[in-house]
Amino acid sequence: MSNAYIDQFPAEAKVVKALFYSSFVALALGGVFGIIQTLHRTDIYRFIDSANYYSVLTAHGVFMVITFTIFFLVGVFTWAVTTSLDREVEDIRFTWAWVALMSIGTVMAAVPILAGLTDSIDMSAAVLFTFYAPLQGHPLFYLGLVLFVVGTWVAGADWFRSWWAWKKENPDARIPLPTFMVLTTMIMWYIATMGVATSILVFLLPWSLGWIETVNPLLTRTLFWFFGHPVVYFWLMPAYMMWYVMLPKFSGGKLFSDPLARVGFVLFLLLSTPVGIHHQYLDPGISEGFKFIAMTNTMFLLLPSLLTAFTVVASMEHGARQRGGTGYFGWLKALPWRDPVFAGMALAGLLFAAAGFSGMVNAGMNINYLVHNSLWVVGHFHLTVGTAVALTFMAVSYWFIPQVTGKELWNRSVALVQVVLWFIGMTFMTNSMHRAGLIGMPRRTAEPQYEGFEFETAVGSVGELDAQIALGGVLLTLSLVLFFANIIGTAFGSRSDTLPDNGYAEALSGSDDAPRVLDNLKLWTAIAIVLVIFAYSLPLLSIVDRGGLFGPDIPPLPVSLESVTFLAFAVEHVATVALESAGNFAQTALSGVIN
Amino acid sequence: MRISKAGLLVALAFLAPILVELRTVLAWADIHLSVLETVFVGAIIAAGLLLWAFLPEDGDETTSDRDVSNSEL
Repeated sequence: MSNAYIDQFPAEAKVVKALFYSSFVALALGGVFGIIQTLHRTDIYRFIDSANYYSVLTAHGVFMVITFTIFFLVGVFTWAVTTSLDREVEDIRFTWAWVALMSIGTVMAAVPILAGLTDSIDMSAAVLFTFYAPLQGHPLFYLGLVLFVVGTWVAGADWFRSWWAWKKENPDARIPLPTFMVLTTMIMWYIATMGVATSILVFLLPWSLGWIETVNPLLTRTLFWFFGHPVVYFWLMPAYMMWYVMLPKFSGGKLFSDPLARVGFVLFLLLSTPVGIHHQYLDPGISEGFKFIAMTNTMFLLLPSLLTAFTVVASMEHGARQRGGTGYFGWLKALPWRDPVFAGMALAGLLFAAAGFSGMVNAGMNINYLVHNSLWVVGHFHLTVGTAVALTFMAVSYWFIPQVTGKELWNRSVALVQVVLWFIGMTFMTNSMHRAGLIGMPRRTAEPQYEGFEFETAVGSVGELDAQIALGGVLLTLSLVLFFANIIGTAFGSRSDTLPDNGYAEALSGSDDAPRVLDNLKLWTAIAIVLVIFAYSLPLLSIVDRGGLFGPDIPPLPVSLESVTFLAFAVEHVATVALESAGNFAQTALSGVIN
Repeated sequence: MRISKAGLLVALAFLAPILVELRTVLAWADIHLSVLETVFVGAIIAAGLLLWAFLPEDGDETTSDRDVSNSEL
């Protein structure tokens, strides 16, 4: 008899398994649309109409960064809370309720996106992942998103409920690190989703239903980015959690510092939301001063990222030295590279360092102008969410899937090749995307060629850049095929009694070394809200003041003094003509009488 | 072997970003490599890495092949 998660928490294991499988369905769909658009855009193989490119792009974006990531992370969070508090969820029916909400929401949002690919259904939501105005989708798309987000809110309530129940029984105990990470991430998520909830419920949904005629596009953009940047941290923080609490264990050692991990997560809670305006550096209508504040906050976010890099590498080094590694760099050889879980997460972390550097370019107000809305940005987020998050999630699946199914992983060698292939594919694809962005190649277009104009590359040619993007895309697709072969092979395998125990890494410097104030979630929530008010209240008021809450008014004529002047001129002209006619008539009549 | 087979696989994979970035860096020094030349340079570096990896070393240890996530610590 093993002591895996399924043995400890059989009911919760079913929930987590359902969430993981849902996320993998989204990953498969997103992957298919990914390779279609890669080959189309690079003009290597085209079988869709370019007019459908935005439906394909929307499907790739929404399935990958909303459905795959969030279904997976809520599964991880359920595992983290139950394992670290060592208690079942309070009511499993409540847990299944939010799973159902998220699933129904996903189907509702997916239907109009996919319907956009065919003319036989009069429905479309080709609004891209960044679904702000003026692009308008079918109301079902917005309703689906609302249900999905509400599902995540209820999921958070489920985990808070577990923590409050645990706290009653353990009033003086420190919050276990994985639960602390879940709670801080969810508080950040509650604050961040206020923006997108307002945008959808007050503006986009009524607009798509025809209840209101106009919206203020800049307002919906700003509300989207209020959520659009912290959602990146909603994906990243679970990946960080895996690096903090699982990677040290797989390295063969312990987490270097529990207090540093807590400080990192508190800083992410405080700083993830008041930065969204850095996505709008080129938006007219937001003053440069507000943009500068957003840039400053963004640069502060480097601190928890660097803390994470230090702690994770220190933990890995500790593990390697426990395994007999020596020397300044010789310890790297002692790491368990044969283990796909470790290798995948380590390679994801490595490429995330590159993502940090390109992210600094995006975050700098002046240098951002060089790469704004270019393919550089696409390269950047394929390193963050596409590698740091996605590769970590896939790698850690090789540990989680046996834990929640009770079955041995089908093939660990295939798993190792899969994570390495993802690393190589992403290297090729993102390198060329960054380089293409530097020469001004636009993102979000099926036809990046222009007549009578050629991009001048610093190295190689545009054809080589396209080929490199396509090569990367093909390798990534192959990697996905291997991933699904392994997951399906495992799902159809037989039950094993030799699985490793469920658990996570202990810490060299534990929670007792962390100041108690770090666990004061009310304090950090209050500071996070104050920072958001500082960063957003004046820009939002200014946007509403200039453009109106529902866009500029279109009142009936006459609309201005110029109209009045014109009317006066018209009246004067008509009167003059009439008088002239009357005069002529009188003159003619008088002449007739006299003669 | 001086390194585990899995370690060698990861080291070879790590050559990919080194090579694609090396091509750009060399261009700064006005050394322009074509795709084929880059592949050739990559093959030489990979061959060197393989040669180093397969050279025998006293006291070869195999701890790095131990699969931690699938076993007890």
